[in-house]
Amino acid sequence: MLNVKDVVKSFNSGDRTIKPVNGVSFSLEQGTFAAILGKSGSGKSTLLSLLGALDKATSGDVFVDEVNISTLPDRKLTAYRRDDIGFVFQSYNLIPNLSAKENVMLPMEFAGVSHAERSKRAGALLNQVELGEEMHGRLANRLSGGMQQRVAIARALANNPKLILADEPTGNLDDETGELIIALLRQLAHEKKTTILVVTHDHALAAQTDRKFRLAHGKLTED
Amino acid sequence: MGVVSRSVGNAFRNKVRSGAVVVILAVAIGLALAMLVANQAVGAKVDSLKASVGNTLMVNPAGSRGGLGGGNPLTTADATKAAAVAHVTGVNEALTVRLANAAADSASAGSASGNGGADRGSRGGRFGTSGTTSLVSAVDPGVLGQRNNSNGSSPDGGSGSTTTRPAFSIPIQATGVSTSATAAGTAIKLTGGSQLTDFAANSTQALVGSTLATKNSLKVGSTFTVQSRTMKVTGIFDAGDAFDNNGIYLPLAATQTLVDQAGQLSSLNVVVDSIENVSSTQAALTSALGASNVDVTAGSNNLQAAITSLGSVQNISLIAFIASLVTAGLIVLLIMIMVVRERRREIGVLKAIGASNRTIGLQFVIEAMVLVVLGSVVGAAVAAFSSNPIVSALVAGNTTSTNAAVGRFGGRGGLGGGGGFSGGFTRTRGAFAGASQLIGTISTSVGWQTLVLGAVGILAIAAIGALIPALLTAKVRPIEVLRGE
Repeated sequence: MLNVKDVVKSFNSGDRTIKPVNGVSFSLEQGTFAAILGKSGSGKSTLLSLLGALDKATSGDVFVDEVNISTLPDRKLTAYRRDDIGFVFQSYNLIPNLSAKENVMLPMEFAGVSHAERSKRAGALLNQVELGEEMHGRLANRLSGGMQQRVAIARALANNPKLILADEPTGNLDDETGELIIALLRQLAHEKKTTILVVTHDHALAAQTDRKFRLAHGKLTED
Repeated sequence: MGVVSRSVGNAFRNKVRSGAVVVILAVAIGLALAMLVANQAVGAKVDSLKASVGNTLMVNPAGSRGGLGGGNPLTTADATKAAAVAHVTGVNEALTVRLANAAADSASAGSASGNGGADRGSRGGRFGTSGTTSLVSAVDPGVLGQRNNSNGSSPDGGSGSTTTRPAFSIPIQATGVSTSATAAGTAIKLTGGSQLTDFAANSTQALVGSTLATKNSLKVGSTFTVQSRTMKVTGIFDAGDAFDNNGIYLPLAATQTLVDQAGQLSSLNVVVDSIENVSSTQAALTSALGASNVDVTAGSNNLQAAITSLGSVQNISLIAFIASLVTAGLIVLLIMIMVVRERRREIGVLKAIGASNRTIGLQFVIEAMVLVVLGSVVGAAVAAFSSNPIVSALVAGNTTSTNAAVGRFGGRGGLGGGGGFSGGFTRTRGAFAGASQLIGTISTSVGWQTLVLGAVGILAIAAIGALIPALLTAKVRPIEVLRGE
């Protein structure tokens, strides 16, 4: 489903050329729950941004269902991010002045889904991530961290993506809430066959995934 | 929630800031609209002036002006000659005479007789009058009237003793007209009744000034006498000032008959086909009627001053309109740049979850539009209250220098009585008024042209304010969202 071939990302810092991602290759089957471990600054988030078409690789190819997203024009990359990818961020990144439900409805709005359908699906997704009905209409910035992350996961699922990329999804959560989020992601991967790739430095989280990779000095290795 | 409702919500995300922006925009847009309204109002006034006095010439007997001077009366033959001059499209004939109150005239005549014929050609209270009327003047002579129309004391030729002239009373101005128009060719504004319709020599129709009618308890249908003829009030007019409202309008032929000035005229108001031909027609009229016989004066002399003044106001208002719009546009621009910079991360999130540049740009465009529309609504109220004072201030500021000259030219010297000047006088307020009098009051109003121009201007503001954030959002890369993660 996901096939990464010799991806390099480099940039200049003064006289030096830094390569946080240096010839990374790996592949994931559909429905896999995988983790990339690494220290802070090891390039995990950079790799995630390349896979999610948030940034362009210096070289190499990223295939998603046989489509090389490295060569797609901006317009198609927007459609790729909208239809095929779901992002979950460490700091949730919800739109603060929108309600939980409205946040989940956003990707569907961009995909042209009707308002009624958006509302119905958003409610179902929020129920799926076990956010109580009474919280659906609450402004995002009025929710607890765990609730916001559930909303973020529901938003990532809004357009039934093939791939969910999660960047330190439990980084800002307490252990108990973190466990709930991990369980939720695993359930999604196994029950809905959604491929989930999590970057984390949390070994407890990584221990619950199907596959574990380590990124160090720009190189990726599988445990 | 769609992009529109989301944008409206975003516009009020920071209520204090949005409120401040709306107020600032309202001031700028309000000023712009006020200037636009001023520009339109002044433009309309210029057109109105050109249409009303721009193409007229006033012909007076040589040496006479506003009740002063002398010369020989004009005649109907002069009017015929004037009508034949090239570019002349119309000639309004007028004979303006002064009438003394019959009762006062009779009393002062007796007094003069008692003094052994002390009055030397100007009996008692009828200084330079051409006839009598039953009407009592509504204007008190006051100090100015007595001073301007009395020689104080005069030697008695017969006995060597000094005799005192009787008290002066303001005569009543009677203007004989051949159409329902003033001597200056402008329409007579009635407050009641109807215009003159019978212009025959034996006509008994009359229009009476409002203050004169009040003073004499006259209404439409009432009667009074001029010389020995009983005249009937067909209408009551309001000329806008106390002097003119102390007068009457009579049919020209009837006036000439009543005061025994058959064929005589005191002024001609000549209408020229266009303002461009006024100067050449002025020369042609002078030539046709004789430079030694007539003074031909162009109302456009002062019109030019008025138009120049108003032109300055128009230019100032246009520049201020554009400057205000640009200011408003800059305000929107700066605010939206700030907003976009503040929300870079949010823009990154939106891109990361699939929003296109167009969708995000549209969101900020609508957000800017919301601020501009609110600013426009409040600004329209600001403009409604400020446009009239602004126009007045601009016009006053630009006609000050002209007014100084007008004080001499447009004065009413000698009009309080004019003792010793026979044959009546002509007040040619329309054509000879100074620039400031010509300009008068400019009333602002919002017409469809103003609305269209205002809307175009406001759309320009919105475009300026919206285009930049739209471009800025396109430059925000979605990777921004992961920075700082």
